[in-house]
Amino acid sequence: MNQTLVSYLSQYEFYDILLGLFGKNEGFLAFTIYLLFTLAIVGLCATIGGLGTYAERKISADIQQRVGPNRVGPYGILQFLADGVKMITKEDVMPFTADKFLFYLAPMLALIGVFATLAVLPWSSGFIMADLNVGIFYLIAISSLVGVSVFLGGYASNSKWSMLGGLRGASQIISYEIPVTISVLSITLLAGGMSFGTILSHQQGTPINWFLFHNPFAFIAFFVYFIGALAETNRAPFDLPEAESELVSGYHTEYTGMRFGFFALAEYIEVFVVCGVGAALFLGGGNLPFNISIDIIPLQLVQVTVFMAKALLLYYVVIWVRWTFPRLRVDQLMSICWKYLTPIAIFNLVGNAVWMVMFNGKSIADLVFGGH
Amino acid sequence: MFAQVLFLMSAFLTIGCAIAVMVTKNIMHSCIFLLGSLIGVAGLYATLGADFVAVTQIMVYVGGIVILMLFAVMLTGGKDFVSRAQNLLGLAPAMGNKWTYGTGLFVGAVFLLTNVSLLMNVSKAYPVKNFGNEFPSTVSAIGKLLVKEHVLAFELSSVLLLGALVGAAIIARPRKQ
Repeated sequence: MNQTLVSYLSQYEFYDILLGLFGKNEGFLAFTIYLLFTLAIVGLCATIGGLGTYAERKISADIQQRVGPNRVGPYGILQFLADGVKMITKEDVMPFTADKFLFYLAPMLALIGVFATLAVLPWSSGFIMADLNVGIFYLIAISSLVGVSVFLGGYASNSKWSMLGGLRGASQIISYEIPVTISVLSITLLAGGMSFGTILSHQQGTPINWFLFHNPFAFIAFFVYFIGALAETNRAPFDLPEAESELVSGYHTEYTGMRFGFFALAEYIEVFVVCGVGAALFLGGGNLPFNISIDIIPLQLVQVTVFMAKALLLYYVVIWVRWTFPRLRVDQLMSICWKYLTPIAIFNLVGNAVWMVMFNGKSIADLVFGGH
Repeated sequence: MFAQVLFLMSAFLTIGCAIAVMVTKNIMHSCIFLLGSLIGVAGLYATLGADFVAVTQIMVYVGGIVILMLFAVMLTGGKDFVSRAQNLLGLAPAMGNKWTYGTGLFVGAVFLLTNVSLLMNVSKAYPVKNFGNEFPSTVSAIGKLLVKEHVLAFELSSVLLLGALVGAAIIARPRKQ
């Protein structure tokens, strides 16, 4: 059964009161609730994306023993707002020979692809816009729009740097989609379903119940997922599409102002989304470390906080990795994907399947402590 | 009511983009319109309650086929592929000429007639349902069908795809001198 946010909220009393206010028009009420939550989530994620640029600079400064931005607001925390104002007021330049239609379309496609994934991101067990039965599959499918946008951005600029960046970006995103998808597939095998609700309901309780510690293969799958996700979001050490030392700025070389801002924002939000998905698939998502039978809104908010904490911790690791490792060469990038990650991911998938048959779906913790 | 609105949006996206694929003169643009059309088809599946098919449509076409087409077009000329042929009325340049339009119209008409005659009975038997906030999923049903009734077709198509993969690897392999 596909659950949605509205069907979750309809179990509370205030839903009936709201329904009365809307004159028993359920469709309109559902539309309003979705609209409000969409605005809230998009606003929240845009803020996270904006703060991501600030975090990136502060953490890189910390790693390189500098101070980082410290002029705008306390500790420079309003730097991202200043950047945003700068982006919006900048002149919107388009190269004379650019493909106008595709040039304007590409940044929007990037944002559409990223924002569409937020529909299934599980903020908590109840606060999930649509707990589709094909949730994780939908997320992987719709986020491939970002690959199209990277490619189009590179093509439409009609510049050699952009073209090379776009080609690299698209081939990299397509290639690394395979190990990521196979790793995710092994987790759906353990959970017995593709919806985030099913995946999270199997990871309740203490961290020993997380899928990360379910069996050795799932443990490896997490790292395969994480490396692949770094490459899919064009983050260092896989940031070949925008390698500054070779390609000026890669596929968004010719973009200025807010159009460049769209690409940057999409990248930072996508990093948050893949971190959130990693947290939900392997680290138990918003599940609290103890079992609670009652279901009230404040507890859901606590779950949201737990989920955000896990996702932002992974976000920190992503930034940490960026400022620690050197960039790969193109041939190394492809050999890592095809010669190492993909075989390991397939091995994990087979291993998980064998484990499920051998131990009847029990995790290591179940076998050791004799649960279930 | 929202299901109807979503259906209309998907249908307009599908048909509008399909028309745009034909009338645009830049092959890259028609690739992008094709993308919109395929997403519209995914929307149509979703409004019918076929969630798995809808997502697979996006996965296969947006994530695979369209990117592949863009690659192929760009690596073999890209921007130079602006059509100079005339359309049916001989006015603005568009993809194809009177022969392609004529053939397309004929094939389309045959396809439309067969589909309508087939679907008339089906749509009478299964009236449009207005899915609420909880609607049934098709994933487990499709999975069971694939590994039970249709396991032969499933396995054969996987062997076919494996053959294609191995063939591509053999063609692309650097030859020893």
